[in-house]
Amino acid sequence: MLIRFLLAVLFLISGFSVQASMTIEIVGGASNRVPIAVLPFGGRQADAVTNIGAIVATDLGSSGYFRLIDSKDSISPSDPNTLSLPAWQGRGADAVLMGQVLPAAAGKLEVRFWLLDAVRATQLGAMSYVSTPASLRIVAHKIADTVHEILLGEAGSYSGRIAYILKRGGRYELQVADADSQNAVTVTSSPEPLISPAWSPDGQRLAYVSFEDKKPVVYVQNLSDGKRRAVARFRGSNSAPAWSPDGRKLAVTLSKDETSQIYLLDLETGVATRFTRGGALDTEPLFSPDGQWLFFTSNRGGTPQIYRASLADGRASRVTFDGGYNVSPAISPDGKTLAFVHLRGASFHVAAIDLASGQMQLLTDTVADESPSFAPNGRKILYATRVNGRGVLATVSVDGKVRQRLSQTGDLREPNWGR
Amino acid sequence: MKHLLYLALISALLSGCADTPLKQAEIEDRAVVTTPFKTELASPSETFDRADKQLTDTAAKSPADSASVSTSGVSDANIAGKTLASAKTPKETAVKTQGIATQELEAKSLGSTPQDAAVADTTAAGNNKDSADALKYEAQPILDPSNPQSPLAQRRLQFDYDSSAIRDEYRTLLEMHAKYLKGETAAKLIVQGHADERGSREYNLALGQRRAESVYRALNLLGVADAQMEAVSLGEEKPISEGHDESAWEQNRRTELLYQGE
Repeated sequence: MLIRFLLAVLFLISGFSVQASMTIEIVGGASNRVPIAVLPFGGRQADAVTNIGAIVATDLGSSGYFRLIDSKDSISPSDPNTLSLPAWQGRGADAVLMGQVLPAAAGKLEVRFWLLDAVRATQLGAMSYVSTPASLRIVAHKIADTVHEILLGEAGSYSGRIAYILKRGGRYELQVADADSQNAVTVTSSPEPLISPAWSPDGQRLAYVSFEDKKPVVYVQNLSDGKRRAVARFRGSNSAPAWSPDGRKLAVTLSKDETSQIYLLDLETGVATRFTRGGALDTEPLFSPDGQWLFFTSNRGGTPQIYRASLADGRASRVTFDGGYNVSPAISPDGKTLAFVHLRGASFHVAAIDLASGQMQLLTDTVADESPSFAPNGRKILYATRVNGRGVLATVSVDGKVRQRLSQTGDLREPNWGR
Repeated sequence: MKHLLYLALISALLSGCADTPLKQAEIEDRAVVTTPFKTELASPSETFDRADKQLTDTAAKSPADSASVSTSGVSDANIAGKTLASAKTPKETAVKTQGIATQELEAKSLGSTPQDAAVADTTAAGNNKDSADALKYEAQPILDPSNPQSPLAQRRLQFDYDSSAIRDEYRTLLEMHAKYLKGETAAKLIVQGHADERGSREYNLALGQRRAESVYRALNLLGVADAQMEAVSLGEEKPISEGHDESAWEQNRRTELLYQGE
């Protein structure tokens, strides 16, 4: 069964210069969506500053796991005990989220929220965040994460950030945005191509490849102060940065000694130690979350396939077997599922393989997919694809059932999902 | 800050039953630093991209204005205003590769005559009497990469799908460039590989690198010193044709030869 609906998000959000209009299109979804009423938050200037309730509702509604009960005609009361839960149960809600925005010290705001069980008439959770008015969107995403976790028993992935490349006006911009692709900020802009942004494990730095020197060079940039440095600028090409789980090393592809081979680059000393050998192309390295393995793409078997090598002894074994083109590995946070790009016929799809069983599943029906990466909670995969000749970002749930398109204006590519 | 939040979240979850008192978490506001950051330009020796001649020339004159890469900081909890504005600040640097491409095509037809002659020479190579012909021929072509009449004006080698094998038709072209480079030991060449758009950008970068290396090796075997050459790849990032069909892809699978200073 296909359920289609469109959520127009932009006009719900005021008070911020949001860069581009965005719609989220959802195809499919979980069979049992939790019916939830998210009441507009009450209190001082709540909706004039940032409509927190609307952002939470959009996050939950677009996830495919929740069904929103209409609550536009109501407002959160200041005391949860005054809320008539039977009335909301009567409207079909199993859960009700309500909240207040109150003034706090030093110009900050306190956001309080309560999650209530409408069926059993009990409180499921209550929390408060103190933030500046500028950070209210983050607060809203954190609230959505909390609601998701309480109701579904697993972490939400609404508060992470994504990085991607926007091509516009002849320039390439490395942008960072909230996971819903709002709040986009350009952190680097260049007249030459930028590719392969990769979040550091702590979410404070981005590694990427820039062609500003007329050849690919790997840079690492701090997000806090915008400072950056070239970490791999060896003879030949330097590309495909991937962070080690401890954030101290980058696996990179260098051609300084031979054709494209994988090296481990110590970020402190700048020393690059060769990891793969042989005349085949080896690229797109990726650390397993436990730091024991390195996945990578290689054509050593004749066609590009994904391999896994032990970091202890370098011995590699092939992971993908189905088809003649499997590239761009992404690993789930639990290390159990590998997503990648699979060529079938003339179409490039995101596919996933269960590493224990070797079972492969095609996840998308888009045909020009690239650059998959997992959400921090491992439930969704973000990737780039082309629709009507334009690069767009999309997500798909790991079971392939919930598909969303994050479409901003402009040509987008190379997304990477960070914490 | 994250730890604080996390703790607050965990405790809220642990005790998240009836009538839980409010748990507090503090969201700090992290300042957005908008310091525009200018990257130092690579030394001129690294910037000689023929297709981007204009850019390189201007860059050499005023590094701050053109080819500017700007970066800015951003907090986790980010705030638009200032930083968004800074995104618009960087000046447009017009880099157009199309004009050059046309020129090269013209140059190709001009250079075709001596080339054909040389193909005949090389195919018959191994035959002793041909060495005399080769000598006679050597005096003729103009070996000057900046002269459009010269066979050295031809800089582009096309490749088959998923292949880095050099086609026979380019043997003479490579011999001419090798001859020039051996004679001009101060001249330097960037061998720049390219791929078509299909599939992974990083894998295509590696494919372009392989194409560049196969041309590099061919020149190396013809006697050109390693110190005079660098093989690099621009992957699928700089197509000649923006189309999405086989004819566009075919044009884009290529290696370009770029002399220093161009």
